[in-house]
Amino acid sequence: MDTLTIAMNSSEAHYRPQPYGEIDTQFIPAHQWPLALIELALSRGIEEHKLLRGTGIFREDIGTHCFQLTPQQCFQLISNLQKYFYNHELGFLLGHELFTPRHTPATIALNSAENLHAVLDILVDHQAQIMPLLDARCRYEQEYLVIYWQDAYGADANMVFLLEMMCTALNSLTRSHCTEPLPWQFHFTHNKPSYIEQYDVHLGNRVHFSSHMNAMSVARDYLYSPWKSCTADSLLFRNSVADPTSTAFTFQRGFLAETYTYLQNNIQRNPNLEQTAADFGMSSASFKRKLKKHHSHFQAQYDLARRDLAIMWLNQKGATNEQVAKKLHFYDVANLRRAFKKWTGKLPHAMDELG
Amino acid sequence: MLKYHKWKLFFVAMGANLVLIASLAVADVKPFAEINWLDVISEGGAATLALIWLGLILHSRPAGRVTQYLSMGLSGIFLAGFQDFLDEFIRFPATAHWDHWIESGCMPIGLVLLTLGIYHWHKEQLRINEQLRKRERLFREHRSLDFTTNLSGADYLRKQLAQALNEHRESSNTLALLFIDVDNFNHINRRYGHQQGDHLLQSLSELILLSIRRNDLLCRYAGDRFALILPNTGRVVAEKISSEISLLVQHFAYKTFTQDESLYYSVSIGTALTCNDNIAQDTAEKLIERANLALLKAKEVHRTAVQQAA
Repeated sequence: MDTLTIAMNSSEAHYRPQPYGEIDTQFIPAHQWPLALIELALSRGIEEHKLLRGTGIFREDIGTHCFQLTPQQCFQLISNLQKYFYNHELGFLLGHELFTPRHTPATIALNSAENLHAVLDILVDHQAQIMPLLDARCRYEQEYLVIYWQDAYGADANMVFLLEMMCTALNSLTRSHCTEPLPWQFHFTHNKPSYIEQYDVHLGNRVHFSSHMNAMSVARDYLYSPWKSCTADSLLFRNSVADPTSTAFTFQRGFLAETYTYLQNNIQRNPNLEQTAADFGMSSASFKRKLKKHHSHFQAQYDLARRDLAIMWLNQKGATNEQVAKKLHFYDVANLRRAFKKWTGKLPHAMDELG
Repeated sequence: MLKYHKWKLFFVAMGANLVLIASLAVADVKPFAEINWLDVISEGGAATLALIWLGLILHSRPAGRVTQYLSMGLSGIFLAGFQDFLDEFIRFPATAHWDHWIESGCMPIGLVLLTLGIYHWHKEQLRINEQLRKRERLFREHRSLDFTTNLSGADYLRKQLAQALNEHRESSNTLALLFIDVDNFNHINRRYGHQQGDHLLQSLSELILLSIRRNDLLCRYAGDRFALILPNTGRVVAEKISSEISLLVQHFAYKTFTQDESLYYSVSIGTALTCNDNIAQDTAEKLIERANLALLKAKEVHRTAVQQAA
């Protein structure tokens, strides 16, 4: 249960940054999903030299089990794909493959979980092994369980691809293990794309665009409904040898995700750049440089953290504008309203659930 | 493709070489000041372009009569251009006439052969169009072709649907749109890999193409979902075709790559018809939406049937 509850403002304790990965940390095992992606692309007729251009990846290296990629290399690979592959199918296709039990012990565990709750526990605890580029946060909201997807390493334009992949992966996993497909609702911040057919087929008809969150939600009742007992697939792979590269990670989250977590958890202290940098153990200039390396800056992260808190408090806790303004250290309600309008395009009272 | 045409390329290269050697043997090279560079560029450019056309044609066509004509024609044009180009650098003695013959002889012969080739190509294309008829309607766009099934994708579907709806507005006939979705398609991808899944889709598309009428159009919507446009079709006929397709797929024994194993699949089909009362408001988007909804219902029915059977 602990992974499903977000440490909110309940305790006044100072949240200290946890170890984090960076955009140039080598830790993503190349023979797992990156290899699956490369093979998928090659089988769809993309030329190898175009696909791997600028990534610093060589096809021969990937076969070896100890070759690891940086998030930056993965991003370059995905942008190359999107440049040369027109019909936007690959993210969804990779999503279907992502959780098949052949990849890692973590995916084998996912496939032998007894219910959705167990799956989400594994997903959150083993993010770094399963899909480190997006940070998953689970939260209960009224009758719903909501999974928020957040940029962990500065994915920039590749965010849409990653979201399509992760949402399809989870949808596909639940579809193959539940007796009936779960009625997932999907919310995306991007506008309705021209290739809407892919969403129709791979995610279903409960997809909302131009939302202010990247999230998927389902009624809480489904969390504990038992799944089909292990499928033949997962039994096949259950006894497979443990993967040598999947040793325990020294960190769980990416730098951006950790910054966001830090800001949310310390909101009562009204964190600023200097204090945050000091807590991360570096000078303000270094911290700024690091944020820039991840295609972001302090104000953007701070706004993001405050926006999400404001939405949560307004929707969930039924907080008034005055309370939210005070908690987020706005001078008065008018300032909050202005900021809120800037973040979400709407006024605080116009917020309905997830938009 | 080029490896089937080695001899043709060899002869063109030999021809150009012979012309060059013969020219150098009989004539003198012009001094630098006498060379007219504008002519060099225009004549050399024409010869180069003819060579590029030849390369493209040979690279894209299998051997055969049409290719033979086209390549001979273009080779002639190239040789004439090449000789013309050499003229700019070489002064031929007045007694030598053969250079004129090459220049003025190769060109018309080449043009005639090329014309013959294009004429037969046209004939050939009409035959190919007939074969492609159920995959495309009066409009070709190779960029929207799907890599897996060689059917057109959703963009093409939307365009064709909009056009067909326009045509139907004038008549009193209805148009039917069928969405065909493979049940349990993920099973094959998970168990046998996506290449096997792609191959299944390809086989199914061929199978469906066999069972539809001349004017129907089959597209791949996305993933394991096909879209079938049935022009001038009412509900009764649309349902007949839809049940024919389901029966056909159910009885199709699909063979996997590795084992002597037969897999049986079924499809769910959702049907949407234009309504005559307010056809003016029927857009391609709305029709697609209705077909998608009908398909979801059909899937639901299929699922409960399976559960009850189990």
